[in-house]
Amino acid sequence: MKNALDNRLPASFRDPSGFLFWGEDGRLFRQINTHYQEPYDQLMISGLYTALVKEKRLIPHQEVNAAPAEPERAYKVIEPERISFISYPYEWSFSQLKDAALTTLAIQQRAFEFGMSLKDASAFNIQFHQGRPLLIDTLSFEPYQEGLPWVAYRQFCRHFLAPLALMAHRDIALGQLFKSYIDGIPLGLTSTFLPWRTRLSFGLLSHIHLHASAERRYAGVNVKEQAATRSMGRNSFLGLIDNLASTVKKLNWKAGGTAWAEYESDHNYTAAAMSQKVAFVRQFLEAADPVVVWDLGANTGRFSRLASQKGIETLSFDMDPAAVERNYLRMRSEKDTRLLPLLLDLTNPTPAIGWRNAERDSLLERASADTILALALVHHLAITNNLPLSQIADFLACLGETLIIEFVPKEDSQVQRLLAAREDIFPDYTQAGFEAAFGGYFQIEEAVPIPDTVRTLYLMRRGAG
Amino acid sequence: MIIYLFSLLSPTHEIAAYLDPGSGSFLLQLLIGGIVGGLLILKTFWGRLRLFFLNLMGKTPVAVEETDEDTP
Repeated sequence: MKNALDNRLPASFRDPSGFLFWGEDGRLFRQINTHYQEPYDQLMISGLYTALVKEKRLIPHQEVNAAPAEPERAYKVIEPERISFISYPYEWSFSQLKDAALTTLAIQQRAFEFGMSLKDASAFNIQFHQGRPLLIDTLSFEPYQEGLPWVAYRQFCRHFLAPLALMAHRDIALGQLFKSYIDGIPLGLTSTFLPWRTRLSFGLLSHIHLHASAERRYAGVNVKEQAATRSMGRNSFLGLIDNLASTVKKLNWKAGGTAWAEYESDHNYTAAAMSQKVAFVRQFLEAADPVVVWDLGANTGRFSRLASQKGIETLSFDMDPAAVERNYLRMRSEKDTRLLPLLLDLTNPTPAIGWRNAERDSLLERASADTILALALVHHLAITNNLPLSQIADFLACLGETLIIEFVPKEDSQVQRLLAAREDIFPDYTQAGFEAAFGGYFQIEEAVPIPDTVRTLYLMRRGAG
Repeated sequence: MIIYLFSLLSPTHEIAAYLDPGSGSFLLQLLIGGIVGGLLILKTFWGRLRLFFLNLMGKTPVAVEETDEDTP
């Protein structure tokens, strides 16, 4: 349930500097409160805003005359450039989170040159926009106060360093802990999970292990007294940011070894069949003519690229961290601005979390697509996860207007493999059963057998057949 | 670099941020500030030294500091 108090975005309540709200015409605005007048003016006048926007590290905005949502507190209203899809750190691959971390630190370094500093370092403030991570919170800056430590240090360590260290040094799956801890993974927990050898790295020793000990030891100590007598000089401040960047750069994870990482080279398509499948998907995409495509079970994004390379905004989802990592690294090297690889388990899609269950939206609340690609997917949902075909059809009909879907029958060796160790309790899992189930939700516009295989590719349009 | 460690400043700093910086996080930064500041000075010095010798040998420096390839 959305926050019913006003037209504010439910996630926009922590910072008294301002908030996001919806205008009546569906435009998204940010109110800047009088409280934040001075830092905002400094951001704009100092040249920092122009520099960061030019470097594509900060979201551009326009100052507008729209009515503020809370006029008594308003200084200005701005309209930020719209981000087409808001993704969350627990949906990013290792390198996506790493790039988001390095972007945050690069922004902090740049801000410092203009006499400003980041007052928060939330991973949720970074979004992938046109292939690059950028800061979407224009109100994250404050004047640098010489002598003070970095106020966002703990948040940076919890949101970025902790999940990256856990993924790099313990297990890639531990990145998902972020879903349970909305303000980042606690450092004490991180320290417990990390191998002892991580204490040999100065960065991890300081920013995770000693940091966790300091949190325990000094909980509740009045630091205002300390701040009055001790200070952190400019060089120490810069040194801290530089050391965090070095520590993050040294964290690496090599994609591979997970269940799906080798799938693309391990499937049972001949080169000719694959080329024919590519041609059919391309032809169906032409017919569907979508603005937004979601590729579900995209693996490393081979078919997603058929859409993104046509300039279609494409989300490329997969449940395997290695596949998403490879997809992202390729997207980054090819500078594909229309593709966004994301981590998603379709059988347990991203839930809504946070205050009132409305701070971070579930997958289904955020957006939907024009066309859904579901290639080599239905047998995994129906057989591995026991999902009835009608439920799969119902779910896919909620997501998109048109559907390009591949049916993989029981005769296929991949399905045989899924059935190898279990009883076949799927009498309806036949081509006729598939068409009957999907016909309840879609009109089947085209069905083409893929040569040299037993599979069939369908183009369907929402609406009962 | 040690100058920065626990150096004393006369003005009282007002903490007005909306985030709780955390007492331990705040104090840890004061503690390691001198070390990380010193490391940065060494890194900058090493970069300049490397640049000096590369120039001396007539080689074109590729990158003086850490490469930026990881930074998006």
